[in-house]
Amino acid sequence: MGTPRSSRQSLVMSARANLAAALSRWLGNGLLLAITSVAAIGVLFILFFIARDAVPFFQLRGFKEFFTSTHWYPSQEPVEFGALSIFVGSGLVTLGAALVAAPLGVAAALCLSDVLPFGVRQAVKPVIEMLAAIPSVAYGFFALVVFAPWLQRLGAITGTNALNVSIILGIMALPTVVSVSEDALQAVGRELREGSYALGATRAETLLRTIVPAASSGILAAVLLGIMRALGETMVVWMASGNAAQIPDPWFNFLEPVRTLTATIAGDMGEADHVTGSARYHVLFAMGLCLLLFCFACNLISEWVVSIQRRKLKGE
Amino acid sequence: MSPATQDGRTGVDTGLGDRFKPSNVASGREDVPPLHDILEQTEAHVATRDFSIFYRDNEAVKKITMEIPMRLVTAIIGPSGCGKSTLLRAINRMNDLIPGCHTTGEMRFDGQDIYDKKIDVAILRRRVGMVFQKPNPFPKSIYDNVAYGPRLHGITRHSRLDEIVQRSLVQAALWEEVKDRLDTNGLGLSGGQQQRLCLARALAVDPEILLMDEPTSALDPRATTRIEDLIGELRGSYTIIIVTHNMQQAARVSDLTAFLYEGVLVEYGPTKQLFTKPREKQTEDYITGRFG
Amino acid sequence: MGMKARNLLDRLFSGVGVLAIVVMGLALVLILAPIFSRGAGAYIFKATVEHRRMLLERFERGNAEALAAEAEAVREARAPVYAMLARYAAEDLAGLSGREKREARQRLEEVEDILQELFGPMPGAATPVLPRQQYGATRWDRAEVKLDRLLYVETWDYSDSGSMGQQVLKPRREEFAGTALEPLFGYVETHLEAMLRPEWTFYWGFLTDSSFDAHIFGGIWPELVGTIYLTLGAMVFAVPLGIVSAIYFAEYAQEGRLVSLLRTCVSTLAGVPSIVFGLFGLAFFINTMHVSRSKSVLAGSLTLGMLILPTVIRAAEEAIRAVPHSYKEAAVGLGAGRWRTVVTVILPAALPGILTGTVISMGRAAGETAPIIFTAAVSVGKVLSPWETLTQPTPALSWNIYNLCTEHEAVDEIRHVQFGMAATLVLAVLLLNLVAIIMRARISNKLKG
Repeated sequence: MGTPRSSRQSLVMSARANLAAALSRWLGNGLLLAITSVAAIGVLFILFFIARDAVPFFQLRGFKEFFTSTHWYPSQEPVEFGALSIFVGSGLVTLGAALVAAPLGVAAALCLSDVLPFGVRQAVKPVIEMLAAIPSVAYGFFALVVFAPWLQRLGAITGTNALNVSIILGIMALPTVVSVSEDALQAVGRELREGSYALGATRAETLLRTIVPAASSGILAAVLLGIMRALGETMVVWMASGNAAQIPDPWFNFLEPVRTLTATIAGDMGEADHVTGSARYHVLFAMGLCLLLFCFACNLISEWVVSIQRRKLKGE
Repeated sequence: MSPATQDGRTGVDTGLGDRFKPSNVASGREDVPPLHDILEQTEAHVATRDFSIFYRDNEAVKKITMEIPMRLVTAIIGPSGCGKSTLLRAINRMNDLIPGCHTTGEMRFDGQDIYDKKIDVAILRRRVGMVFQKPNPFPKSIYDNVAYGPRLHGITRHSRLDEIVQRSLVQAALWEEVKDRLDTNGLGLSGGQQQRLCLARALAVDPEILLMDEPTSALDPRATTRIEDLIGELRGSYTIIIVTHNMQQAARVSDLTAFLYEGVLVEYGPTKQLFTKPREKQTEDYITGRFG
Repeated sequence: MGMKARNLLDRLFSGVGVLAIVVMGLALVLILAPIFSRGAGAYIFKATVEHRRMLLERFERGNAEALAAEAEAVREARAPVYAMLARYAAEDLAGLSGREKREARQRLEEVEDILQELFGPMPGAATPVLPRQQYGATRWDRAEVKLDRLLYVETWDYSDSGSMGQQVLKPRREEFAGTALEPLFGYVETHLEAMLRPEWTFYWGFLTDSSFDAHIFGGIWPELVGTIYLTLGAMVFAVPLGIVSAIYFAEYAQEGRLVSLLRTCVSTLAGVPSIVFGLFGLAFFINTMHVSRSKSVLAGSLTLGMLILPTVIRAAEEAIRAVPHSYKEAAVGLGAGRWRTVVTVILPAALPGILTGTVISMGRAAGETAPIIFTAAVSVGKVLSPWETLTQPTPALSWNIYNLCTEHEAVDEIRHVQFGMAATLVLAVLLLNLVAIIMRARISNKLKG
């Protein structure tokens, strides 16, 4: 009868070893959590520090002028900080970008997920990745140095206008729209498609009547994320929007130059950063805060929308 | 080279003489002693009492009480989903990896309740090795695969590691095939070789118990035979607990067989008896292929 | 609806989808083609003798003897020009007086200025202060533009008040009809090659030379090094933090309120506009933490690091989750603890995936401009030593592309530098992405076996 190997390590830990193990496990977990929190808390830090420098502006100047006036004269006495035209400018180019990116992106996503054969899809993927990878300053450079003269040759009075920026921003937002909505379309699953085809529906009917409605919230999230990208983009609008703080006449005249929040921050900080504490400095943070809050809202809505779709597909 | 000579285990007397060689079972001799005789003559290595396993609220293994004898081969059979793998993985607490899994009752190994708070799981798993359903070598060299366990437990000297790697590979009957390419990737081996590598990896930490979770289900018949032969060779040196859905395999390799159905231990006894004269109707239905 | 109509609609629908993709591809080509084709002009162009003289004098590169011989030949070819100028001054100008003389002198000075831009300072004149006046046209394409300006006077015709002014080109020769200078224009036009000796050149120094006189001469080395510093700095902060966070999310976190809150925070961080990162970097790292007195590579790297952190976390978590569960089981089955399993088995297996994500975020960090405007970038600067990065700002490719094409005093003079910079940056970023794509393909092949 083989004796149980007495030289074996005992299974039972001593009280001290037990405590040490528990402690190190606890510490390790805590440390990991702490490090992870640094990444996560970053976003709260951003919110706090932008807000901290934005609040003095509202204390100094109030809300009314900032949101309702179109008189933007930050550098000449008496200073005026009416940012309405800048908000309109941001809105206009974002709208334009959405008009370019949404139909094009959703159509491309439908084509990628349901029309093209696998091999072609693999070939298209790098195109999307390259569009996403090109740095924004290169897009801006293209918009200013190549695209603006083209537009001018086509008859626009100035090539650096809302149209130029809208098109380029639309192209920049395309990869986001395409890949997120393609994911949403893929998530719908084969059963639904097969069910529709089995009833004799054509591909277009299947997609438009069955798949797109099922994936609609995901597609909405994709468009929202694309809009976020366009709204938050700086270099292209700074370089190619013309930077005129005015509301186009009529408001949808894309051929006029506009000025956006991001470009104003980028352009004015150079003159303002030496005078921290002035309204001139804080107004830029106020604009940053508005951008940030809008992006938070977009992000949360898109996450919420996606979770709704996930639940719907699960049948809950 | 006989695998057992390496650590002088040859001739360890199991106390049962030749009566429980697997071949005896297969040869159809009738003199099978009843279960309590076996358990009296050998020590119980693992013993459970009213042992249940839950996935959240779902009781996957229900109040099992059984004793598994030392240095014999015990097979656990049953239809898929009956909880046999769950039970096996409870023996070295692999179920800890699954969130929401908890147990009640007792599971004793070497007389110690392994679900006690004070248990060092690392030492438990070192003493209770495991071979999985699909061969799962690490994407490392053959040598590093086998040396992984010993290194984990603090062995760093090269000569000692070399020795352990060789012994383990010899025991797993893989040494001759790989001794010239120990530094190549373990994933480059064939399926059967990979599974033997995994066996060697488990043996390298010198365990007392080997848990095998359907170790041949992903292998071809030839590789299966090799693994079964190996089980026969390791029998007597290790306590082997094997889960299989293949009843022929259970009959070929094991001394004792437990039949699980829907989480309940229906019947447990010497393999020969269970397969020829089952006491329970459910067992008979299962082994004659009426369900499962 | 009839079957025919339905099929037609179906075709139409597919057509629209394919069209969308074609438009996407076309956009990519339309954007990249001018950047790359004109960007190549910064490296490969017809360089004149002035370029070779500049290289020898400023960077001590080139064959001094050959250049001396060339200079001699060029001087001979240019001599008639200067002779004509001297004769004009002596004969024609001397005969004029009063307003006429003033106007003639003005016209002459215009010609002399253009000639200086073409050939450098006149023989015997004092060496000018600005480098751009010390050398003539270094590039043949610029020389041709200047030749046009020499040959034609640009005037504007406003006679049609209904439209914008029309540009009218008048031969400059007419201004000097009947004088000693009249033959100069024909001579320069026909002998320009002999006077500048253009040769096709591959100017690798564009990448490795410093620039001087506001980028009119030299290359983009300081910008390139600045970009590398900023990118590596961002990686140093983001990669370890990102991998640890990914490990936590993938292996340790038990799904619950706290973890889902953390996840939301990370995904929100990914949606923060890049300019807001710049504001934050200024307000937090510089004005609050005082990591440096003003802009510095360090502050810029920290800001960029935060920007790419969500990308790194997402990529690393995906890579860790892609590691087969069986590896983990095997390690745990041998008695490895959770941390040991992660370090010895999971991370090595996930490494290629993590690297892929890292390389892509490197491309992102290299190309970002908005976050470094207030935290790290300056328009002109020298190459920093590693320890200077803690306190000094740096030029960087992305920022200088913006800067050179919007705020430079002679935007048209240095188009080739702008395009060269843009092409270099885009190429570097795309190469990083290509590396990532290849790595990903190899990983998926490996997983397939």
